Amino acid sequence: MKRMSKLNKIAILAVLSIGLFGMFLQSCQKGEKATTDKVTELLGGGATFPYVLYSKMFDVYHQKTGMKVNYQSIGSGGGIRQIKEKTVDFGASDAFLSDEQLKDFNAPILHIPMCLGAIAITYNLPDNPQLKMTPEIITDIYLGKIKKWNDPQIKALNPDVKFPNLAINVVHRSDGSGTTFGFVDYLCKVSDEWQTKIGRGTSVNWPLGLGGKGNEGVTGLVRQTPGGIGYVEVIYAKQNGLPVATIKNKSGNFVSPELSAITKAADTQIPTDTRVSITNTEASDGYPISSFTWLLVYQEQNYNNRSEERAQALVNLLWWMIHDGQQYASALNYAPLDPKVVKLAEDVIKSIQYNGKNILK
Amino acid sequence: MKLKLLNDKVFKNILIITTSIVLLIGVAFFITLILESTSSISKFGFKFFTSTDWDPVFEKFGALPFIVGTLLTSFLSLLIAFPFTFAIMVVLGEYFTKGFISEVLRYLTELISSIPSVVIGLWGLFFLVPAVRFFQITFGLQPYGVGIFTASLLLAFMIIPYAASIAKDAMRLVPKDLKEAAYSLGATRWEVIKQVMIPYSRSGIVAGILLALGRALGETMTVTMVIGNSHFIPKNLFSPGNTIASVIANEFTEATGDLYLSSLIYLALVLFLITALINLLGKYILKKIQINH
Amino acid sequence: MINSILKIENLSASYDDKVIIQNINLEFQKNKITAIMGPSGCGKTTLLRCLNRMHELTPNAKVSGKILLESTNLNDNFMELNSTDPILVRRRIGMVFQRPNPFPNLTIYQNVLAGYLLNGIKLKKQEADEIVEKHLNLVALWDEVKDNLKKHGTFLSGGQQQRLCIARALAMEPDVLLLDEPTSALDPISTQRIEDLIVELQKTVTIIIVTHNVGQAGRVSDFVAFLYLGDLIEYGLTDTIFTNPKNLQTEKFLTGKIS
Repeated sequence: MKRMSKLNKIAILAVLSIGLFGMFLQSCQKGEKATTDKVTELLGGGATFPYVLYSKMFDVYHQKTGMKVNYQSIGSGGGIRQIKEKTVDFGASDAFLSDEQLKDFNAPILHIPMCLGAIAITYNLPDNPQLKMTPEIITDIYLGKIKKWNDPQIKALNPDVKFPNLAINVVHRSDGSGTTFGFVDYLCKVSDEWQTKIGRGTSVNWPLGLGGKGNEGVTGLVRQTPGGIGYVEVIYAKQNGLPVATIKNKSGNFVSPELSAITKAADTQIPTDTRVSITNTEASDGYPISSFTWLLVYQEQNYNNRSEERAQALVNLLWWMIHDGQQYASALNYAPLDPKVVKLAEDVIKSIQYNGKNILK
Repeated sequence: MKLKLLNDKVFKNILIITTSIVLLIGVAFFITLILESTSSISKFGFKFFTSTDWDPVFEKFGALPFIVGTLLTSFLSLLIAFPFTFAIMVVLGEYFTKGFISEVLRYLTELISSIPSVVIGLWGLFFLVPAVRFFQITFGLQPYGVGIFTASLLLAFMIIPYAASIAKDAMRLVPKDLKEAAYSLGATRWEVIKQVMIPYSRSGIVAGILLALGRALGETMTVTMVIGNSHFIPKNLFSPGNTIASVIANEFTEATGDLYLSSLIYLALVLFLITALINLLGKYILKKIQINH
Repeated sequence: MINSILKIENLSASYDDKVIIQNINLEFQKNKITAIMGPSGCGKTTLLRCLNRMHELTPNAKVSGKILLESTNLNDNFMELNSTDPILVRRRIGMVFQRPNPFPNLTIYQNVLAGYLLNGIKLKKQEADEIVEKHLNLVALWDEVKDNLKKHGTFLSGGQQQRLCIARALAMEPDVLLLDEPTSALDPISTQRIEDLIVELQKTVTIIIVTHNVGQAGRVSDFVAFLYLGDLIEYGLTDTIFTNPKNLQTEKFLTGKIS
């Protein structure tokens, strides 16, 4: 008898679990239908760099409008993949899509800049002096041509600093990341050798150095290795009080990565689709390793049986983010958009359509 | 009676279904890996195993540095872990099979195996890496701190509990009869351990080592944090390097190009094959050393 | 003439503070077979295990009293076992257990030589061959296994395995052989063969056998010691005790009234 009841229990459990699974499937379908009726939640995913700012913005936006935004910080690559597969309302990326990548999408994709980020050069030297760097020195260090800290070029640029006879320990990101993309994008622009030998990408074939996972990995390695040098997001360097170098920009000014200098980096010719790299900027006071971070949306919002309400909700959110949302940036160490860029972004948002008709009039 | 029979049938069917689902997932897993890596396989073929390039920008991919790194860290960690595993096995398997010391030791080893790998990685980064760097500075080596050796040390720390707990159980299964027979012939305790207990439990010991090796081959987070993530074949044991699992974990999320993604999956396939090969080898060894009862 | 090889004086043994045998005085005669009998739990196995210092391997076991073994040294007549290295004791006093326990990882050949292998004693090939053949012959196993010496011993029948274990103990050329209910796990035919073997072996070695089986004690032993609840009740020539027990408990046990 006892045995039978045990078997009974197992059988019942199995039937129950199969039933539950079925219900789960059904509820999934229901859930999809429900959103077409009334939109209460938008879905987004992508870049990790702006995650803190986006969370803040979405939190405030939810309190003000009741619209929830669910953002998954899965990395820029993931954001691009997700919007391509149309599983989210918007993707987020630190790198804009290349012409080739755009061709891969079967519908036009729009880029809306949200804020700016920048990459700082951090290092580990005795007493951590304030260093000046030129694009040439940075490139040569990362190409392995400058091997010691007491190299004549570095000494000449920083006459007040006493450099030890110490090997430079180059550190780079080991994970694919927008930060790497921004950094090597800059190197490509300032060095033909880098452009032809290494090129640009979220991961590249580094000629030398150690890899650290994430900003924290790079920081950890730089901090621990005497003579270390690495690149991290400015926001991360600020939060952790890392020493950062001032870098000579295209106009010949040495600029430190302050938020105002990062915002100013966008004070240059920006194309109407905002797909532009502003590293090595022409702006005379701009920090040279700055870049936008974008949200990606489809221009034609009627896909996958999306409702017009949903498209409208998305456009409202985007509009709010480039205007009211900007005020939260500085406090969180993100550089807000320049008014000129906001104007451009407005035009992009206005071009979003539903069934061929503009959503914003 | 009828109900009982029916129940038996239901139970049997559930078992068959669940078993085949697991089997199906395994096969599907393998097929997916092959399908998703087709473009990389057709482009690089077997050269993938011998090429040292890993250039996502110019889309040239080769796995050799990672294969070397994976095998090196796994086997080195096994080598480092072996004496400790052996000691724990003997202490817990023979000297202290119960009582306070046994409980404490057992608890500690189990605790180690339940620490999340990120935490172990952090500990490695903040404690082990500086320690290794100190030695590197002392002996005039490049003071990386991170590298193959550090990763192997940390892996060894992680796999000891696995290997030791299985090996210890095997030791405890040695029949009292046999131990007494050996004692009665004038053997010392060490001779009993060496000549009777270890030969008798060697298949269990090998099984423990295999499990540990599997863990070492596939470990990701810990390795990534302390291996230095450099895409070169390590020049010596203190050089930075990388493993297959670590590369995949690092680069998968941001891999945008089709060939890049396909090559990462090809890497996964290589790891799968290495693991399968080592398991087969292990099975063969187990069969060879099995004792007939 | 009385010729003692092993003497016990005031031997007591306990386990976890539970007394198992107490104040036992006994002398074992050289090249004779002594059976230790008694009902279950009387302490007969413990007594046996005290003799080659196996009892002390059990955690929390205690032994007191003296055990004296005829010395190989000409100056002393006897050596005190509890102050001798147990390793040496066990080489001079071999043991065979209730269940046949050949080493499963060794071949038949290696099993016979197990004592040498375990102790790390190196033998020349010819020497080793001689030892194996001699002792397998002694236990009447040679003809049965001589073509399978390189096979593992585990394929043998229970009786053959037990004879292999006896050969293994004898190969160390002990002075005394302890048998702890050696046939309790065997069928009647195998038992018969082992009993014949035991009687045969007393020419070469002094045998002390613990048995639960009255008939077996009667068939093989020259002397009998009867233990009851940890005390030695009666000791003497087997024929005398079997025909004319002095003690009531002995008589009850012999007639099957207690077991």
